[in-house]
Amino acid sequence: MFLSQLSLRNFRNYRNQEICFNPDFNIIYGVNGQGKTNLLESIYYLSVNKSFRTNRDIDLANAEGSEFLIKGIFNKGSFSDQLEVNYTQNGQLQLKVNNCKTDRYANISNYPVVIFSPDDLLLIKEGPSIRRKFINLEASRLVTSYLKKLKDYQRVLSQRNYILKDKIGFHRKIELLKPWDQALVFLGTEIIINRVSVLESLKIEATPFFDQMSSSHETLSLDYLSNLTIAGELCDINTDVIREKFFELLLDKREEELRRGLTLQGPHLDEIKISINGSDARRYASQGQMRTAVLAIKMGEVKLFKKLCGHSPLILLDDVFSEFDEVRQENLISFLKDEPGQCFVTTANRPDHIMSLLRKRHAIIKIDRGQASHERDRADH
Amino acid sequence: MAYPPALKKLVEALARFPGVGPKTAQRLAFFLLSSPREEVVTIARAMVEAKDRLEFCPACGALCEEGDCSYCADARRDRSMLCIVQEPRDVLVIERSGRYRGLYHVLHGALSPLDGIGPEELKIERFINRVRGQSIVEVIIATNPTVEGDATAGYLAGLLKPLRVKVTRIAFGLPVGGDLEYADDLTLNRAFEGRREIL
Ligand SMILES: [Zn+2]
Repeated sequence: MFLSQLSLRNFRNYRNQEICFNPDFNIIYGVNGQGKTNLLESIYYLSVNKSFRTNRDIDLANAEGSEFLIKGIFNKGSFSDQLEVNYTQNGQLQLKVNNCKTDRYANISNYPVVIFSPDDLLLIKEGPSIRRKFINLEASRLVTSYLKKLKDYQRVLSQRNYILKDKIGFHRKIELLKPWDQALVFLGTEIIINRVSVLESLKIEATPFFDQMSSSHETLSLDYLSNLTIAGELCDINTDVIREKFFELLLDKREEELRRGLTLQGPHLDEIKISINGSDARRYASQGQMRTAVLAIKMGEVKLFKKLCGHSPLILLDDVFSEFDEVRQENLISFLKDEPGQCFVTTANRPDHIMSLLRKRHAIIKIDRGQASHERDRADH
Repeated sequence: MAYPPALKKLVEALARFPGVGPKTAQRLAFFLLSSPREEVVTIARAMVEAKDRLEFCPACGALCEEGDCSYCADARRDRSMLCIVQEPRDVLVIERSGRYRGLYHVLHGALSPLDGIGPEELKIERFINRVRGQSIVEVIIATNPTVEGDATAGYLAGLLKPLRVKVTRIAFGLPVGGDLEYADDLTLNRAFEGRREIL
């Protein structure tokens, strides 16, 4: 699968842009602030239906307008799909695949992308919510029913919290909570089971890369932390056992929940622990170790998509080479060499060095003040 | 815009129907004007009559005419089966599919605290008393496959358990989030056949 063509209208600093891509490798090159990352962002948005930089769609519209359009053609074997995202003047998002209207997020499993960016480091450095977002996105793309379960779970949370906050008597509250306790436990259990299985698969793919890159026999571990799991192990416990324990914990927390008016038990509060040699990377890892860990996780993500979706995801690399030392650069290059997925790399420096190591067919696209143009096409093996 | 006052009044009235905009209302108005007088009278009478004569059955909550419930009062229906639905229109959908011959109970909604709907609003205690007072063997829960419909189903199943009746939930092979009213007959029959016991 590869993206052969992209058109942008009023997206960030692009006015009207049509561009063709190389099926293998695309170097997006130019001085900072010209729109290199914006181009990656538009590809990401086409695939995931949201940005990796902002939650507000309006931010993506050209400064003078309040609408934008992204169109792309994905080639899959002998077929091609045209994807279209249109953010309209009245703030609505309209999505089409081959000219048929679809819902937002309905196709996020079909044209997967994996982004590598300097901000990946935040996955380790920030609080638990960024890691929950990460696992939610991965599970939504890899498990068919997950997104629906997640939406339903959030609806159950707001229904339940409404009762907890309501100013009614204790006994009536307990009676009203009953159906929502059950919904919380049933949906919550399924979400936890899906997350644990996705995380486990990701761990299997990511750890070999970490081994390869780290010098001193360090091991990377990704564990699901919930008071329903024991050291991230859940696989040998069945659904009924988890539900039963979930109900028990909910009962334990009842008093505090009523006092605070909030649901205090469930996957919306769970955490993913990233550890190196058994200790929490967030607290104890060096900057270098963190970089290696997130790079290994990202490479694992690429492998996982390939394994579960049957084709390689698009790989977006946002100015990552400049951040890496030689070991990580070499590892990334050898990874990309073996990787058949289409790549997009942004860089401010001339990419000759990378390309001489990589030896892949490629296109160089120069970005200058919101204008993209092919510098030259080369096909050196 | 200059309209004859009677036409303006008619168009405004017709535009009150759900899904009918001003353009469609105008089209309907001209249809009525071009129809024979008797036909227009028949249509107008049918509306008023339906409004006057139809009410909700105090026992099952389905639509019935002047106290005469075509479900509760029908001796040929299977009195050991009771099907719970959210809305009166769901009864019509199930009747149309033709397979089910038991009794009904219409909740007139689903549990939703955000909308102020709890067990009292759905008169659930009255429903439980109804089951207790009759020789019901199986209760089939056919609330919509939404978060609220599922929560209601789970809640009812919990209350019915001590009464020693079999409680089943119809198997929705319907498009995700699809309400009962959009199901075709074949899908609905399959959903009834594939119903599973809630344990
Ligand atoms: Zn009745």
